[in-house]
Amino acid sequence: MKQKSQQAIAVRAKNKHNFKRSIPLLIMFLPVILYYAIFKFEPMIGLIMAFQNFSLKKGFFGSEFVGLTNFQYIFETPIMLQVIKNTLVLGILNFVITFPFPILMALFINEVRTMWFKKTVQTIVYLPHFLSWVIVGSMCFTIFSQESGVVNNILKAITGETYPFLYKPVSWTAIFVGSSIWKETGFAAIIYLAALGGIDPTLYEAASLDGCSRVKQMIHVSIPCIAPTIIINLILKAGSIATVGFDQVYNLKTDPVMDVADVISTWVYRVGLQQMQFGISTAMGLFNSLLSLILVFTVNAIARKYDKSLW
Amino acid sequence: MKKVHMLDVVVYVVLTISALLCLAPCINLLAMSVSGQTAIESGKVMFWPVDFTMQTFITLFKGTSILRSFKNSVIITVIGVCLNMAVTILAAYPLSRPYFWGRRTFSKLIVFTMLFGGGMIPTYTLVKQLGLIDTYAAIWLPGLISTYNMMVMRSFFENIPEDLSESARIDGCGEWRLLLKIILPLSKPVLAALTLFYGVAQWNTFMDVLLYINSAEKMNLAVFVQQMVQSQEALKQLQNVNPNEVIEVASEGIKSASTVVMVVPMLVVYPFIQKYFVKGIMLGAIKG
Repeated sequence: MKQKSQQAIAVRAKNKHNFKRSIPLLIMFLPVILYYAIFKFEPMIGLIMAFQNFSLKKGFFGSEFVGLTNFQYIFETPIMLQVIKNTLVLGILNFVITFPFPILMALFINEVRTMWFKKTVQTIVYLPHFLSWVIVGSMCFTIFSQESGVVNNILKAITGETYPFLYKPVSWTAIFVGSSIWKETGFAAIIYLAALGGIDPTLYEAASLDGCSRVKQMIHVSIPCIAPTIIINLILKAGSIATVGFDQVYNLKTDPVMDVADVISTWVYRVGLQQMQFGISTAMGLFNSLLSLILVFTVNAIARKYDKSLW
Repeated sequence: MKKVHMLDVVVYVVLTISALLCLAPCINLLAMSVSGQTAIESGKVMFWPVDFTMQTFITLFKGTSILRSFKNSVIITVIGVCLNMAVTILAAYPLSRPYFWGRRTFSKLIVFTMLFGGGMIPTYTLVKQLGLIDTYAAIWLPGLISTYNMMVMRSFFENIPEDLSESARIDGCGEWRLLLKIILPLSKPVLAALTLFYGVAQWNTFMDVLLYINSAEKMNLAVFVQQMVQSQEALKQLQNVNPNEVIEVASEGIKSASTVVMVVPMLVVYPFIQKYFVKGIMLGAIKG
């Protein structure tokens, strides 16, 4: 008993000491506290707009509270359900289809023994990550242009006809997912390459002594060793299913495909900021944030459940 | 003779094709931007310029406000990165000190902002109430710290041997001097990597400009290029500048040329700093 209370006193003394010692650090940290309070936490308070018939003139305190009416409106209007569906369809397609590519690329780069080739390939495939969606969008419009694009030039030479790739829903969706693969595969491979670089070489030696071919070593040594990294990435990317990037859609969209291309972020921008319907667009945004939060926690919980059976 | 392994063939072929696929759209864009009007419109341009001409660029620089947008992008990027780096250091350093009061609470709150946030509209109303609309402060302030980048920097600071700072402290070194004279000079790789990441993000910033900047003369290059690519309006404006002069440029050509103007600074800097960002990502990977 006595010892415990003495310990408590010691801890308290240490904390006090820490506080005194931390004063210069806290002064240094003050702009950071202000930044997070103002630009990160204040907007969370601003989410009460989702429950209001908000107008900028009246502000948070003057605007009338309407309960869940905004949410009710969202789930009863077909256009909005369509927007939510589009977001999930594009998000899931993007997530599922793009996910394996960086892993394959890392496994392949890892097999290369010629240093100059390895370095050159890495330099080139990392590059698209640094180009903004404005540029990638512009490239897509140039390449798939019906009159002068490369793809249609080739198509015309073979079949004699051209196809409006960016103006038909199915081919547009394919271009959307393809552009994600093109832009992010190389860069996302870096993290797997780091994991592959950390594998103990004796594992490969043992496998090779047991008569494993290089392909078998890849399957039975490389992949299981980077499995934890794959799972972490899976959890981190899960949230992105519900948040299809604004820049990507905005820079690839064309009018005829708006039925499949209008996602929550572009809808919120159009209705919230261009039509000034703050209440309902905030409600949509809040729904979106909650959805991605739930996705992250769900995937995390599933991963934890299978923790032991995976490795 | 050494037997060529099947796996090697597959690996080299697949990687060569991937690399070519990454380059192809960029080369096509460059070829388009310096090709003649009729060649582009008749669909002859692939990966090599046809009827080489610089006319498209001359028209672009004379007839549009691309130079002004370019200058704006430079201003946004240079000042933005300085602010980003300064505040990120101020956040990462205290959080990396084990004796920092409230360290765990602050860390938890900050990580929470990565998972959940107010979103587009509440942030917009905040910026509006602060009176920042149509100023570059609206671009710089809401994105002052990238929490992910800050975490990378913090873990780098944490891995600097404690003995160094301890002995400096015994010599009477205060926190500020410790940070400036010991920690920062030892952190050059992470500082270089994060400067690059912030720089690219600022150069490419698009949505924030769209949201917060109204006047055309404050637009950055990203928004300018997007308007060039997606709306015919911008191209019409171009023709209104010199109505008497017949402009002999293909619209695809002018779109490509404006995109090239935005890509080139990146391509010039990229090979020099490539080694740093790989290090930067690795640091994050080790932590994660």
